[in-house]
Amino acid sequence: MTDFIDVDVRPILRAGGEPFSIIMAALERLEPGEGLRLLAPFKPVPLFDVMASKGFAHRDAELEGGDWEILFKPHDGSLEAGEPAPVALSDDDWPEPAVRLDNRDLDPPEPMVRILASVERLAPGQTLSALLSREPVFLFRELTKRGHQWRGGFTPQRDAYQLTVKVLA
Amino acid sequence: MGSKPVIGTSVCKWTVSYFALAVVWLLLAEVLMVAGFGFPHSDIGGPDTLVIVHMVCVGWLSTALCGALFQFVPVLVAKPLYAERWTPVALALLTLGLIVLLAGFLALGGHLNGPSWLLPLGAGLLVAGFALVVANLGMTLWSARPLPAAARFTAVGLACICVTAAFGGTFSLVLSGTGVGALWPDLLPSGVSIHAIAGLGGWLTFTAMGVSYRLLAMFMLAPDGDAELGRLAWRSGAAALAVVVVGGVLALWRATGLNLVLLLAGAAALLSLAAYGSDVFGLYRTRKRRALELNTRMSLLSLGNLVAAAVLGAASAAAGSLQSHAGALAFLVAFGWLTGLVLANLYKIVPFLTWLETYGPVMGRAPTPRVQDLVAERRASKWFVLFFAGTWAAVFMLSIDSALGFRIAVALVTLATLGLCEELVRARRLADVAESLRLPLGATVPHLLVSRN
Repeated sequence: MTDFIDVDVRPILRAGGEPFSIIMAALERLEPGEGLRLLAPFKPVPLFDVMASKGFAHRDAELEGGDWEILFKPHDGSLEAGEPAPVALSDDDWPEPAVRLDNRDLDPPEPMVRILASVERLAPGQTLSALLSREPVFLFRELTKRGHQWRGGFTPQRDAYQLTVKVLA
Repeated sequence: MGSKPVIGTSVCKWTVSYFALAVVWLLLAEVLMVAGFGFPHSDIGGPDTLVIVHMVCVGWLSTALCGALFQFVPVLVAKPLYAERWTPVALALLTLGLIVLLAGFLALGGHLNGPSWLLPLGAGLLVAGFALVVANLGMTLWSARPLPAAARFTAVGLACICVTAAFGGTFSLVLSGTGVGALWPDLLPSGVSIHAIAGLGGWLTFTAMGVSYRLLAMFMLAPDGDAELGRLAWRSGAAALAVVVVGGVLALWRATGLNLVLLLAGAAALLSLAAYGSDVFGLYRTRKRRALELNTRMSLLSLGNLVAAAVLGAASAAAGSLQSHAGALAFLVAFGWLTGLVLANLYKIVPFLTWLETYGPVMGRAPTPRVQDLVAERRASKWFVLFFAGTWAAVFMLSIDSALGFRIAVALVTLATLGLCEELVRARRLADVAESLRLPLGATVPHLLVSRN
């Protein structure tokens, strides 16, 4: 799997700075085969051509709050191929959740217990969505061990964490 | 919904090993105090007292804090620990370094015949151990910039342990009679306050404050998403520590004395503590969980002791009696605040890690106990009551100069510590879990001193 180096240009743009040179400097530092993960407050379309000319394919996803995450990967490996990532990057291919949980007012680690218990009852390929009051850091590893995929992120108000789990098909 | 690649975290294998060694040092220090070793029977700055102070601050508090940080820094910043394989090496260096350092102090006090290089060797090993800890946690934090508020406290704490270790290393050279002592006539008398403030205030207290923001919010079910939360406490606390370190080094260099520096830093530190207290009170008021668990109640009690120590310290400084109350205040900070807080949190962390390690793999597939089922709060609360009562009694006895009263009070604290240790061992052994839930198919009893992960 490709390693991605993170470049977050949101603070630079907020401060009125110019991010292009930062991105190019990060590019210089990449090891062969490494990719770049860019976080930006908008979809940086003009950058795509520049990066393509430097031999990078891109894949973008909108985050909550209107920010964008763009993965740039060297052309030698395809973005689609490779090992199955525990975190999928696009949302369109997952079915509607079969179970929805609101675990925001539960005492930790009760949210994790309920999610794992519900996931065990799902059929292969089904999904579950859950609202949590914080990022369930200990849950991810258990999901990975059991072969499930997940997607998660904070809601735009940052007052809850939204998690979707897809059971191993 | 968009998505953000996330990496989970797991049980740090060596955290319980750190906790176990830390508790051994605490018990050893308490037994020595009961036996009448060190202050108040001997000089507060003498080698015997230094043995106790370093057992408590390095052996107990720092070791426990390192173990907890290896587990919780990855949780705070949602990144994996930079190098888990360094953690047992650091533990070995810290333990060995402390043993050699204590031997050096004992030789200095005339209790054993040791070579003069014991102190620098012990200090060198400790510096190496702390360097490994700081590098590991520092690289983990570096990978997670921009840092969340709680992690920024830890970053300052890590800087402070570097300062503490650097001063300690230099003292060891002075005390062992090498040439540095002649170059810096003021180093020991003035430098000791910087060493102590950076260690107790910066490393232990400031780091514990940062971690407690997150833990208290988590255990009280209080919203902590506000980016402003902890900002004033962090800024003023970091300013206080910067004044002590930078101003202190300048004052040492210019040989001007530390009074102005300490006054400025003290004011900033009081502001930081006030902001922290008001933040915690805010979390308490907005909590969704009405009945608090024992660990949270005891953490809040420890926090009360910190506030009491700050108020009493400021009052005796104003009255000009800080010198004569230094021992009582130091004991209140080291036991009432830090030891109380660490014991309260061990009482939550050890059962939680044990629960996660044992039942994580079978969760959802078989009925599993709750974390609360691993502990017996009623039994443990007796020990906590005894611990805090003994601590307050010990502080009182020090303030009225009753050496015997102090030893009796510390005996109560020791008994309470033993009782709490037994509770932790029982949690680790799953001894309080109902037999029907204790070991579902696929679950095994964890090792006492190291975790599987």
